[in-house]
Amino acid sequence: MACFLVSTAAAIGVTIAQKVTAKKEEKKAEVAKQDIKEYKFGSETKWSTRLKYLATTLWTGSFLLAGEHVLHGEVAPFPPFLTAAADPADASEMLHEMGTVGVAMLALLVVAWGAGCFIWDLIKYRKHKKQEKLQLNKEI
Amino acid sequence: MYFLTALACTIIAGVLFFFFRDRKGLHLDFLTITYGAATLMWLVDCIATAIEGEPFLSFDDPQDGWIALWTLLGGIGLWLLVSFIMNNGKKETPKE
Repeated sequence: MACFLVSTAAAIGVTIAQKVTAKKEEKKAEVAKQDIKEYKFGSETKWSTRLKYLATTLWTGSFLLAGEHVLHGEVAPFPPFLTAAADPADASEMLHEMGTVGVAMLALLVVAWGAGCFIWDLIKYRKHKKQEKLQLNKEI
Repeated sequence: MYFLTALACTIIAGVLFFFFRDRKGLHLDFLTITYGAATLMWLVDCIATAIEGEPFLSFDDPQDGWIALWTLLGGIGLWLLVSFIMNNGKKETPKE
């Protein structure tokens, strides 16, 4: 009924968090420009980039689902915009669906994003270790 | 039906992203994420429907075809809009 709204609300929050993180990282980068940092697992990818991917996931998924709801006649272009919100019985059912299906959708997207980030970091880490080994062999 | 359409689109976009992973300017990661996110969301929807005792996948809805078409065109439209029209000023980074 309106399950996509949970992900949309989360997308707004994540977008704001991403912008704030990007600004903080910019300031940090300026301060620590000359410092040579030690390589750590996951240090190669910025948090703002990770959050950008999460925001993209949430926005795009919500967009396609919103279209589905429009075609099903569950979203209208006039107030109260959600057809289920006009009737109190339907409204409670809608809220229940948002609390169950909507939250489950959000949780699955966050888990998928987390898994994606971990795999990406693992690939980068292995690449770095391989390069380190090659360099060490060259030196010997 | 639209779940299967989104799944097929995710697989196709994912395969294209894998083969053209060096060409960042194509933004195929965005297209894969778009379809992948919708697939996961509809997967949850299908599971919730199955828990309620209805079939996991149904093809009875007369709107199914239109939603499947929306899934395909909406994803491509969003990809073109965000990756190429809104991102017009940014040039493709050269391959290292």
